[in-house]
Amino acid sequence: MAIFSASDERRFMPWRVWIAAISVVALATVPLAGQSSGKPAPASVAKPVKSVNVVKKTPWGDPDLQGVYTFSTLTPLQRPDALAAKVALTEAELAEQEERDAENRVAEDRPLAPGNPGTYNNFWTSNEKGRRTGRSSLIIDPQDGRRPPLTPQAQKLRDQLTDEAAARRVGTPPFDHVIYRSWKDLPAYTQCVSRPMPRQSQAYNHGLQILQVPGYVVIHYESMHDVRFIPLDGRPHLPDNIRLWNGDSRGHWEGNTLVVDWTNFDPRQEYEGAPQGNMHFVERFTRVDAKTIDYEVTVDDPTTWTKSWKFLLPWRADDPNYQKPEDLYEYACHEGNYRQMEDALNGSRVLEHAAGK
Amino acid sequence: MRDRLIVARLPPLCYTVARLREVRRTRRRFTVLTIAFAAAVAGAVLSQAAARVVAQAPAAAYRAPRTPDGKPSLNGIWQAMNEANWDIEAHGTGPSPYPELLGALFAQPAAQGVVEGGPLPYTPEALAKKKENFAKRLTRPTSRELNETTGDPEAKCYMPGVPRATYMPMPFQIVQTPQQVLIAYEFANATREIHIGRKPEAPAESWMGWSIGHWEGETLVVDVTDQIDRTWFDRAGNFHSSALHVIERYTPMSADHLMYEATIEDPKVFTRPWKMSMPLYRRVEKNALFIDFKCVEYAQEFMYGHLLSK
Repeated sequence: MAIFSASDERRFMPWRVWIAAISVVALATVPLAGQSSGKPAPASVAKPVKSVNVVKKTPWGDPDLQGVYTFSTLTPLQRPDALAAKVALTEAELAEQEERDAENRVAEDRPLAPGNPGTYNNFWTSNEKGRRTGRSSLIIDPQDGRRPPLTPQAQKLRDQLTDEAAARRVGTPPFDHVIYRSWKDLPAYTQCVSRPMPRQSQAYNHGLQILQVPGYVVIHYESMHDVRFIPLDGRPHLPDNIRLWNGDSRGHWEGNTLVVDWTNFDPRQEYEGAPQGNMHFVERFTRVDAKTIDYEVTVDDPTTWTKSWKFLLPWRADDPNYQKPEDLYEYACHEGNYRQMEDALNGSRVLEHAAGK
Repeated sequence: MRDRLIVARLPPLCYTVARLREVRRTRRRFTVLTIAFAAAVAGAVLSQAAARVVAQAPAAAYRAPRTPDGKPSLNGIWQAMNEANWDIEAHGTGPSPYPELLGALFAQPAAQGVVEGGPLPYTPEALAKKKENFAKRLTRPTSRELNETTGDPEAKCYMPGVPRATYMPMPFQIVQTPQQVLIAYEFANATREIHIGRKPEAPAESWMGWSIGHWEGETLVVDVTDQIDRTWFDRAGNFHSSALHVIERYTPMSADHLMYEATIEDPKVFTRPWKMSMPLYRRVEKNALFIDFKCVEYAQEFMYGHLLSK
């Protein structure tokens, strides 16, 4: 005779089954380990791509252009007439160029002729060896190293502006002056409104820094404390009615080169003697070595030049004055400009009075 | 079912004992396993519930996403949303400087203020100077002496200095790299570099001051010194001397806002240090972009209009 009958089994089994069932249901509500509730799992950081050339990359895989640089150079934008078809200079020619430059700087410090108020001298310029590109011009296209001709409309505009300024000229050379009716008769840079872009050679405060964060390349220029934010996410340019002194930049990578499309310039700014409103630049930044970025700019404005042109200007990290971010000083242009504006405009009022105007 | 079959095959007494033992063992094993399983599940469910409760507690610190060098990321476009640029202290509504020309445009809104704990602790002489600043805030600079001593620098598009740049009514962008944090402010296109991990000395005083930063947990702490004494704290004429030392703290509070605190020490102007604080909000719209506000051209007639050709 069975001590435990089937009916006993049925009496004992159900509570275990219930506990098992409840446990299974409860398990379904417990999120898997490693996921925080409510938020998707974070995307993993992209691993840097190993390239054959072992180019330095940021931790998120973009080519690394970062550093503190200077763009100062002895090479002129346009090839001097005397050098005609010569693209590259020999060592001897480069040495002679530097010697002439050194002589000029000494000459700047000689005592001035009476009545000559003087100008920038050696104290102001940041000079050192190694600022030569080895070429006779920064312009590499056209082949003659010079800007293409102006269009007829651009030439007409330039002639108009020259005539208009000549009408405001008083006195006898070498001490003749253009009268400034208002601050608008001074270049935008002298007004400390904005300095033309792209930046080419300047005598001082020619440092800049490239910084990178995911989604942006950022260029911080010492001069005018300008900052350009270059989004890399493929967004469109600002609408055409938004015109900025520093334009509007959009970047993308082509291999190890940052290509930047630059538009939306303020038509009141002048670049290379022409109003900048219709100008379109394409910049190409390529790291050449640990201390050099090749900066190539294609300049395109069919209303100003008959064809586009291109210059190549190396950004160098070998200037002892520009090694660290703190070597970029604050350039408080406008904050320090009151006296110059007052003197320039007052001077014009004096000249007007003297000329009986 | 299976037990009944076993029941059918074994001799009665042996079967009974063996069966009893077997069933008890099985039942015990099953009981033990079931209880252990249930306990484990209950533990998991309870601990998850407990974790959720802790995460929602308001006092728990927010842990911001990290930059590649392991620091809380402050990268992005931010903006204060308050009335501090009008007047950092509690204030009522007020007219614009030229109500006969502007009506209600540019009239001042009221605010509870961003300064913690009562009125600013000016010395008596400094308080008189603050009131004079306010009375003469829109004096046109018709001489270099006036320009250097009088008037709200904002009207002249001068760089606003720290902390005012933070709460100008315009965005700013933080660019964070291991060696430095660059902050660019739309107003006057002002920029400043916060040096991290090293302490270079200021070459000279400057409008945006000299900033040395370090991390304390989730907070970026910045010491700002060597700021020129011509910046103001707001449009109400609150000012400082060249002895100003600002200690800023930037703490991420959520994905889209930071808490900003600034302690002000200036023994030449104030009788004790004081502190302001405010949230800073991320600009979250699609394609949010830093757009320069180079305002010099808008300040020129105000500053140089008296020098025009007749």
